[in-house]
Amino acid sequence: MPFIVIGLSHRSSPVTVRERFAFSEASIPQALEKLRHEAGAGEAVILSTCNRVEIYAATECPEREAAARLRQFLIDYHQWREPLRDEIYSHTESRGVEHLFKVACGLDSMVLGETEILGQLKKAYDLALRHKHTGRRLNKIFQKAFNVAKQIRTETNIQRGSVSVGSVAVELAEKIFSSLREHPVLVIGAGETSEKTARALLSRGAHSILVSNRSHERAAALALELGGRAILFEDWAGEFSRVDIVISSTAAPHHILTRPQLAALMKARKNRPLLLIDIAVPRDIDPEIKFLENVYLYNIDDLQEIAGDYLQQRKEEIARCEAVIRDKARALMLASPAGFMGDSSLAVGNSYCQVRRIGDSGVRPSSGAASTESCETVEFSGAYLRCHVAAPGDGRTPPLSCIPPSPQ
Amino acid sequence: MILYGASTVYSIFLWRKGFRHYDHVNYFLLLAGSVFHTKAMILRGLSLERCPVNNLYEAMVFVAWAIVAAYLVLGLFPKLRHLGSFVAPIIFGIGVFALMPALDVPYKDQPQFSNALVSLHAALSLLSYGAFGLSAVAALMYLTLEHDLKFHKLRALLALFPPIDRLEKITSGLLVAGFVLLTAGLAFIPFLLKERPELHVADDPKVPWSALVWLLYLGLLVLHSRFAQTGRRFAWGAVGTFAFVLLTFWGVNLLSPAHKF
Repeated sequence: MPFIVIGLSHRSSPVTVRERFAFSEASIPQALEKLRHEAGAGEAVILSTCNRVEIYAATECPEREAAARLRQFLIDYHQWREPLRDEIYSHTESRGVEHLFKVACGLDSMVLGETEILGQLKKAYDLALRHKHTGRRLNKIFQKAFNVAKQIRTETNIQRGSVSVGSVAVELAEKIFSSLREHPVLVIGAGETSEKTARALLSRGAHSILVSNRSHERAAALALELGGRAILFEDWAGEFSRVDIVISSTAAPHHILTRPQLAALMKARKNRPLLLIDIAVPRDIDPEIKFLENVYLYNIDDLQEIAGDYLQQRKEEIARCEAVIRDKARALMLASPAGFMGDSSLAVGNSYCQVRRIGDSGVRPSSGAASTESCETVEFSGAYLRCHVAAPGDGRTPPLSCIPPSPQ
Repeated sequence: MILYGASTVYSIFLWRKGFRHYDHVNYFLLLAGSVFHTKAMILRGLSLERCPVNNLYEAMVFVAWAIVAAYLVLGLFPKLRHLGSFVAPIIFGIGVFALMPALDVPYKDQPQFSNALVSLHAALSLLSYGAFGLSAVAALMYLTLEHDLKFHKLRALLALFPPIDRLEKITSGLLVAGFVLLTAGLAFIPFLLKERPELHVADDPKVPWSALVWLLYLGLLVLHSRFAQTGRRFAWGAVGTFAFVLLTFWGVNLLSPAHKF
């Protein structure tokens, strides 16, 4: 029973194409039903995220035909009428399994090593499982994929580290403070990067945000968006005794915070740790401040350097991850009893498809013995046999697609 | 000792790797070491029919045991497991020192006190040194992470250490526990002296030494809680005071008539 992956992702197609092929969550059960009845998939899972739409299927047809039928299903289902070149890709058997493992591990993601895709994949599989569209083959492959993803996550550094300024800032904050919830954040200068950084902190639990900007209206607007409070630009220094994280990104041509100024403020803070994120160019915060005790100062170059190091480290881990994935995929293909069954059904499927091709082209077999009708009868018998050989005693009704149309 | 030594070697490996993975190996090495350690102490205690804290060898072994035991509890939390990498070298160092043959001498010259009182005094005092030792270990971890954060080293983010504010809380918590134990241990001294009126406090260097240690830890805790001496200074205080205890403990005991083992 060959395993096949077909779909499109951020690597093969732009968002204008991907969005047309996307499945809404509510439509997936119905699409799976249709996929099994019309495209000959014995088992199927549909994954639809913002970066990829993929169908994972175990089918009883030969690989090439199965790929063509699944591709046609995608095109017909989404009523795509324009020409396609390489937007839709397909992988079969061990290459398909390797692809699934890579997706699960975040190796095929836009942000290398991200973990969100694993949750999306689990959800997609769970949906197909609940609606009984998976069987022994896909269950085994998907369970293995989840195991491999877990192994990769624990044994390699592919998922470690942030690759954006905002998330690096969050990581730093989490290395200083146990919980961001109890540590107020002050945003000085309502620029885009400071807003993103503040949002990243909010997403990790920070909830008390003060915003100060030369234009108080802009500060008030951003504070409203972030669920914080705006303060006058002249007053931000007064808030230093309360805040623990400061993000600064003003357009000031000089330092707005100097070492003597902060040394005095630290006494009022009772030397509590203070994280200063200076993303302004020219810098807002005097670099000498880093020599003060309990003060951790990072400027934009420091953050970008960390993000760059992380990215480099992730790239270095790819080879390790791919080796693990290759070994696991090979072991699964060798050990899978479904693969053995797949071979026998594939033989039936081949004869079925051979006869069908003959029927389609109108050319008789060289023996000349079979009429069109007998070819179609063979096709019917082969398909019927294939369905029952491929899924013995799994208690599921064979997909309707297994039963070819009546000779008439 | 072999297991503690293996843990020390493995800790060096983890250090060089930047403490990037949650590691069970070190925890289990120390756990296995502590099982033999505990068994040895129990057997010795049973054979002597008293708590084995009566000579310098036993005292060192007991302090090491207290540090490992406290670590094994804290190490149940994955983020605190790397404390083991800092604990192992200290335990191994104490163990090597304790194995010096001159330290494990028979008790024949020891002043006779009631067993229960002396055992309680010694056990509480030595447990307090165990707590101080582990607080110094947490402080070392703090100083490592703080240094990496201050100098923008990637290891600060990659190392699976707890945040520095939690490390500071652990350090101060262990110091408080150690201080309470030490105070309780020292509180037995007047009762012990009643049993041996011929011993004079003024003649025993261990008494001013103990008072100094008690005052040092009290000062550290007061400075931390009342005068905002936090962060690196506090961590150095915890490390420095324990280093003082570790380096002077044996010498003071050798000079003390009441602790003449």
